[in-house]
This record gives sequence, structure tokens and C-alpha cells, in this order.
Amino acid sequence: MIETAPPPAQASREPARSRPRLPNPVSLLGGQVRYQARLLLAGTNALAIGVGLPVILLVASNARHSQLGAADIAGYAVFGLTVTAWNTHGVSLVAAREAGILKRWRATPLPRWCYLSGRIITTTLIGVLSAAVTILAGVLFYGTRLTAGAIVCALVALVLGAFAWAAAATAVTGVVRGVEAAGPTFILIYFPVIVLSGVLGSVQLPHWLTTVASYLPAEPLTGAVTSSLRHAPGTPLLPAHDVAVLAAWALGSLAAAVVLFRWEPSRPVQRRAARATR
Amino acid sequence: MSAVVTENLTKRYGDLIAVDNLSFEVPAGQLLAVLGPNGAGKTTTLEMLEGFTAPTSGTIRVLGADPRRGGRAWRARVGLVLQSTSLDKGLTVAELLSVFGRAYPAPRPVADVLDIVDLADEAQTKVGVLSGGQRRRVDLAIGIIGSPDILFLDEPTTGLDPEARRHAWLAVKNLTSSGTTVVLTTHYIDEADYLADRVVVISAGQIIADTTPPELRAAAGVSTLSYPLTDEAIAAGLPPALSPYLDADGRSLVVRTADLSPVLAELVRWAEALHLGLAGLEVGPPSLEEAYLAITGDLTRTGDAPS
Repeated sequence: MIETAPPPAQASREPARSRPRLPNPVSLLGGQVRYQARLLLAGTNALAIGVGLPVILLVASNARHSQLGAADIAGYAVFGLTVTAWNTHGVSLVAAREAGILKRWRATPLPRWCYLSGRIITTTLIGVLSAAVTILAGVLFYGTRLTAGAIVCALVALVLGAFAWAAAATAVTGVVRGVEAAGPTFILIYFPVIVLSGVLGSVQLPHWLTTVASYLPAEPLTGAVTSSLRHAPGTPLLPAHDVAVLAAWALGSLAAAVVLFRWEPSRPVQRRAARATR
Repeated sequence: MSAVVTENLTKRYGDLIAVDNLSFEVPAGQLLAVLGPNGAGKTTTLEMLEGFTAPTSGTIRVLGADPRRGGRAWRARVGLVLQSTSLDKGLTVAELLSVFGRAYPAPRPVADVLDIVDLADEAQTKVGVLSGGQRRRVDLAIGIIGSPDILFLDEPTTGLDPEARRHAWLAVKNLTSSGTTVVLTTHYIDEADYLADRVVVISAGQIIADTTPPELRAAAGVSTLSYPLTDEAIAAGLPPALSPYLDADGRSLVVRTADLSPVLAELVRWAEALHLGLAGLEVGPPSLEEAYLAITGDLTRTGDAPS
């Protein structure tokens, strides 16, 4: 081996010099939400699918109706919300990881929870916006009536639901190997859940399957939004079962995300002929 | 004070030993270039120094801390450029730098960073429409936005055109002159020659040379001679002792050998006998590339150095 003494340093810094304080995590989180919102809104395709598609489907499927039930409006609203919080969020997170963007952020002094929370909060906000636009279309074209109580309750359900779906998608990204697998994986999970839960229209299911669907995050979300919009006398605006299931999904998914989430791209290990250990 | 200290650093992936017992130090303010062929273990070593990869055994201290346990304050002092470009493409260059800068306690002003990487004219351009070379310089800009004490650069100029490489080199030179420690992996020998205070050559996960660029040249143990042949010299024909050194197009002598004396003496005798001038004759130490190839064995394998 060729070896010489390391040359003297050209210059040296005081390693223990005093440094300014690290930025406040709360202000960093605010900055991350703005940054992620800017990115998400810049992606016009994602916005068109999440916000535009449910409204287009609602209007195209019900052109001859002037009145629609709360369940129909809630279904289309939940469809837009879940497309954003599940598919758009999940696929874009995998894409960012595979592009090395997550790894890049991990190397900065930004707390890791700040980055992830920023993404999940932004997705939740855009998901709720998507549902709100659909509900607004219901108010404008299909006779949906909104009271202050209905707005508040629907908002609680939508925020909880969007958060639960976004957290679940974040957890699932940990087991998706690459960008090519991301789209099919998320769609494969998404459509059975959405269809079985009656989001896109009621379906006839065996009792046991109806029971299963009531514990998945789509049916309780649709049910909670429907109850909020229907405001039928004697029924709660937010059914406790639906709220409990969504809260359980939100917390469980968050815990799973903490365990499963990966910052590093999936890369094949470079192979070199193995040598005997010295 | 050393910015980096590693002792017996080893990384295994199953049966594969990617990094094998590396021990080295990098003094603060030094620019260390890590050279080596593909798969030599350069990036694995760098990823261990950056804290992305845990060593199988051995110890690492970067700025006095274990990179795997380095908290926010430690990460605020470390900058890096990954091997491939990793940028959100929907923002402008200035927006992206501003977003990253907010994470640091003492970020450089965005305008200053843009000047350093020579991207001031592209400040309002979206990252997605930049050329590959410009994106690489955005990577470098993000690496230095936090005023790091140490900067890890993993093949930062791979894929850049010569002009873009020169821009990147100048940016790195600016940093080292202000005292930043830099650890650089590269395939470009001229890059190491231009930038590095010190060169470590890794092959098969082990250090095979740890020296300065001039000493690496000298330690390669070969000198070079080149002599362009005139038409008159070609017509006269080379003596048998010089014929093995005729290059592929038959128009010049190229000699790389540990002892030039016999070849040089033979050349002078032959030239005097034919009354040939020796215009264009060059004798000197090897380039850093030749030295690198000599110590990694590639020079011998390609047959450039007759024994």
C-alpha cells in the first residue's frame, strides 16, 4: 500500500464554535406544509383527478336528476378524498423515495416527523378540499342542504378520514419496492375496499362481508359524511361507531407507518466476488 | 483536529465484504478524494460516514460524533451531494434552496449560494426544466446551503459536460478555501488532481494507496516518454529494442516503465546515427491517471506498460 502522512490541513475550523439555535420545529412544520402544498398543487394531474374527477362523475351520472340523496353526494365526496389521500399520496411518496428525495431530506436537520407530518397534513387538507368541492356541487346542483352543524360534523369526519387514509398509505409505502409497483399496488388495494364499502353505489353483499366493510376506513367515512349531510331527526350527525373506526385506523396506521416507513430508495446490492475473511 | 476518524471500518452484505477494515483520518479543512473502480466500496464508505448505513464492525467519528447517532445539531454541520440527483422538480431553483435553507440554523443567503454554483441566472427557473448539469449544481447548492463544516460529495460531476465540471470544481474550491472539509468520491482522475489535497485509492473494499496526488504519481514507479516520429524516422525503421513501444498508429513512441534509462539511451543512439532531431520528445512523471491505473493494475492489464 502506498501511504504517506496526511498533509496538514489548509485551514481549520473551531469544531466547538457556538452555532445559532436550530429552527423551531413548529415553524418548520408550517414551512413543510406550504412546501408540500405547493408541490401537490403544481402537479395538475393529481389535482384534476382528486378534485375534478368526482365532480365530473357526479354531474355526468346524474344529469337527469335535480335531487340526490345525502349518501350519493357523500359517496362521490369520499371517492375524491380517498383518491387523493390514498393513491396520489402513496404513489408520490414512493416516487419521492425512489428518486432519493426522502433520503436527501433525511440528511438535513429537519426533524423526520416534520417531513412526514408535513406530507400527511398537506394530503389531508387537499383531500378535504376535494370532498368539499364535491359537496358544494351537491349544494349547487342537487339540493343538498348544509347547516352549521352539518358543516362542522362533515368536516370532522372528512379530516379524520383523510388523515386515516393518508397514514395508511404512508405505512403501505414501506412494503412497496419501487415506482413501477406503486400504482398497481395502491389501485389493487383501493378498488375492492371502495366497491365493497358502497362508496360508488350500494352493493348486495353477504352479511359477513358487510360487517367486514364496516370496519374498513371507507364505509364508516361515507356513513359519517352521509349522516352529517342528512341531518335526520333523532340520528346523530356523527355516528360513534364510524368515528371510532376511523380514529382506530388513523392511530393504527400511524403506528404501522412509524415501523414500516423507509427513507432509502430500493436498490439492488452491488455484487462483488466474495472473499475469505482475513 | 480530525473531521473524520474511522477505525477498522467494515461493511458486509451477506458473503460480500463491501468495505474491508478501513482506517483513515481526514484533518479539518482538507479535501480528500476517494478513488477506485466501480464496486470498490467508495459509496458504501461514504454512506457510512453520512450515517445512512451502519457498519458491520469498526468505528466512525465525523465531527466528533457517531454518524448513526448524529442528531439535528450534527446534521446541521454536515452537507452532502448524493450519487444521483434528488430534487423536487415542481419548484424554482430559488424556492427549493429557500425551503432547504429553512431547516438550518445559519443558512447561507440563497443569492450567495446561487453565485457559488453559478446558477444566479436560473434562480426563477423550475428545476424540472434545467439541464442535467444544472440540476447537479442545484444538488451541490443544497449541499452547501447550511454552511456545512464537512461536505460529502458522491461523484458530483458524473455526467456533466467539461464546462459544467469546471464550474462545479470552482464552487468546491471556494468552499475548501473557506475551511470546509470535503470528502469526494470520483471516477475522474483530473478532478482529484485539480481539487484534492490527498487521495485515497480503494480497491475491493481496501485502501491500496493513501497519499497526495504528486506522491501518488511518484509512487506509481513508472516514468513516461513520448516521441512523435517523423516520416524520415519511420522510413529508417526502429531498432528492435524500441519497436515494442511503437503506438497503435505507428507514428510515435510511447514508453511507460520504471527505468527509462536504457530506452532513452537507445533512442538517443539511434537518433544520432540517423542524424534525426528529437523535436517533440517528452520525458516525465506519469499523469495521475497513469499512476492510478498502475496501482490498480489496469495499466498492466491493458498492455500499456511493457515489462
